[in-house]
Amino acid sequence: MSLDSKTPTETPQANVGSVREANNRLGEWTRRFVRRPGVDRGAGRMVIALVLAIALFAFLNPRVFLSPINLQNIAVAAPEIGIIAIAMMVVMLTGGIDLSLVAIANFSAITISTLYTSIAESDPALADSLGIVIVLVGVLVGMLGGAINGFLVSVVGITPILATLATMQIYNGLAIVWTGGSTLYGAPALLSGIGGAAVANIPVLFIIFIVVALLIAVLINRTALGRMIQLEGANPVAAQYSAIPRRWVLLKTYTVAGVLAGLAGALFIARNPTASADYGSSYVLLVIVIAVLGGTNPTGGFASVLGVVLATLTLQVVSSGFTAVRLSSYEYAIAQGVILIAVMVFDSVSTSRIKKPKRSKPSSPTGSSGSSDSSAPSSSSTATSTPSVTSSPASSTRN
Amino acid sequence: MHPTFSDRIGKLRGSNNEGVLALVLILLIVGMSIANPTFFTLNTGFSILRSAIVPVVFALGVLIVVITGGIDVSFAAVAIFAGYSTVTFCLSLGFDPGLPGIFLMAIAIGAILGLINGVVIARFNLPTLIVTLGTQGIFFGAMYTYVGATYYAELPGSMAALATTNLLDVTTSSGRAYLHVLVVPVLLLCLFVAWVLKRTMFGRSLYAMGGDLEAARRAGFRVKTTHLWVYVSVGALASIAGVIHIVLSRSANPRDLVGGELDIIAAVVLGGASIFGGRGSVIGTVLGVILVQVIKNSLLLVGVPSAWLRTAVGVLLVIGVGIQAIAARRKSRRMRVIDDGDLNDPNAGKHGGPTSDGSTSDGSTSTEKVDA
Repeated sequence: MSLDSKTPTETPQANVGSVREANNRLGEWTRRFVRRPGVDRGAGRMVIALVLAIALFAFLNPRVFLSPINLQNIAVAAPEIGIIAIAMMVVMLTGGIDLSLVAIANFSAITISTLYTSIAESDPALADSLGIVIVLVGVLVGMLGGAINGFLVSVVGITPILATLATMQIYNGLAIVWTGGSTLYGAPALLSGIGGAAVANIPVLFIIFIVVALLIAVLINRTALGRMIQLEGANPVAAQYSAIPRRWVLLKTYTVAGVLAGLAGALFIARNPTASADYGSSYVLLVIVIAVLGGTNPTGGFASVLGVVLATLTLQVVSSGFTAVRLSSYEYAIAQGVILIAVMVFDSVSTSRIKKPKRSKPSSPTGSSGSSDSSAPSSSSTATSTPSVTSSPASSTRN
Repeated sequence: MHPTFSDRIGKLRGSNNEGVLALVLILLIVGMSIANPTFFTLNTGFSILRSAIVPVVFALGVLIVVITGGIDVSFAAVAIFAGYSTVTFCLSLGFDPGLPGIFLMAIAIGAILGLINGVVIARFNLPTLIVTLGTQGIFFGAMYTYVGATYYAELPGSMAALATTNLLDVTTSSGRAYLHVLVVPVLLLCLFVAWVLKRTMFGRSLYAMGGDLEAARRAGFRVKTTHLWVYVSVGALASIAGVIHIVLSRSANPRDLVGGELDIIAAVVLGGASIFGGRGSVIGTVLGVILVQVIKNSLLLVGVPSAWLRTAVGVLLVIGVGIQAIAARRKSRRMRVIDDGDLNDPNAGKHGGPTSDGSTSDGSTSTEKVDA
């Protein structure tokens, strides 16, 4: 609406540049359409990517790719990665990173498996009836792991990447010691039941994934803690001066991430009743890729749960699509890297392009009034600069 | 008398706590030797040195990046790509260009891969962790897809010959001890990197950029070009490590190296380099790598299962970095009270201009320290 009110003042002297003006306005409209508040950057982009990926593989090999089994496989494999990616996103919101998430998940899976087998040795029926307790213990272990991370980051003051690098080694090392490096078998019937069940052809695992995503979206967008997490990431100094209890916020953030990782560990077992210390070692970097693809700003303050969910699905579709057209997992690794860098480059190019007209505006006669109008929407859409994030945190992270 | 005493202590301590690290290392060695006399032999010493060769070269590359405030996780992929491609090339053509030829070829490949990293990072100003994560996947996948995935047990003649060449061959009471000849070039490489970092404009500009990128830019450093060269040299260093790894393991296995990146980064950080940039030294890095290797070796000798190794390194990292974090916070609190306190600080003059306030000028570190 700011553009409409501006046009009458411009028409008298801007006849020469009217074509350029119209072109600019068209660009502005399309940009606003793509980045309407509510349809945030990460999610909008990932919808396009997901549709493109599905279309491409459906075209290349429709018989295999579109078969119900393949689609169900995607829906079963995505949740465990997706939940860890959401945990990574929550941590990245504060400007941190958590490399220990997969190690925590494995630790939780090993706890569940060991606990179940040791109870089942004496009383199998009791072990199955205690299924939910055992799973809760597993999640609790994850929570504890996350709380230790949070303690190191917030109270001791270690840089997140180093603290979680160290705890990753510790959790992973303990898991190796515990299992002796071998794979454990045995899982509560409850979990394997969930792993195989489906409601209206949608696997229960996928429903759990969506529920978790919704809960985290509510946590981030609708609670005080969520708002504080965002502010902490957007500008730590400002958060400090706004009397935000930074230590508590960081501690809670990493604990939430730990809980999610513990849950992912339970899903590991639900999908496949085994647990080992080195399961999913490639996930560590994959979840960072997913989180960033989903529009999470690695420096903090900006993230989208919907974007992360869509990014998870997209990568899963690409992965299974590559299998469907008989490309190796190494070619998938290439694709993963290319997608990541392409998206980042695209982002960086489009942000610098938006910034440019803002600088040239003041030289034009109508600049003084126009520049402030037009720069406001463009700067909020870049979302890489921290002040812009604080201006519209609720809209940018809406699920 | 007191200030000179603390001055001397400060000097011994080193600008990046190298002295503390050396002390820990010595204490560990003494303790281990008392606990298990077989530890203190030439055998153990030489085998630790041998096992430290490849990590040290990697760590030098990581150090350069970390000093500029970046981080590189693609170096292992670059190393195995360069080393493995060179070996594949030589074997498939059936000719042996000799050691200089092999190293040059690998370095060229590594430098090109590093250039890719550098171009993407410097041109588009992207976060280094994310970019190198992406290129890691690309390089590794490209090697498997386009170079090959076969395991070569036979190496080109010159490499095979180098693998069995020893500098020292000492017969001791506990058997023969070998010191591999590659220790010498790696030592020279360390000295060279240390010289570059300390004495050349390029090296100083790395510290300046790590201390404060914007300040370095305004001081007239060509930040983008330097960034480019940083990643090219990391690629070159990584490729040297890749070739050495292949030589030492006497086989070319494409599955090697990748996955161990974080261990190297942990060693570099233990060596006193700040992950925010602007701090770090070659001597600290070498000590950090050797410390990890000594721990690896001594755990086995004390009878602790090797499974505990990862945990031990993790705990060490937490303690090392935790002490640094707490000390930094305490220091910043002191500086808040007396503003010109750093004039008397023994460490202040030693880093050179840009690094002396590297930790405080960095936005992210100072905010970590503000609360307390």
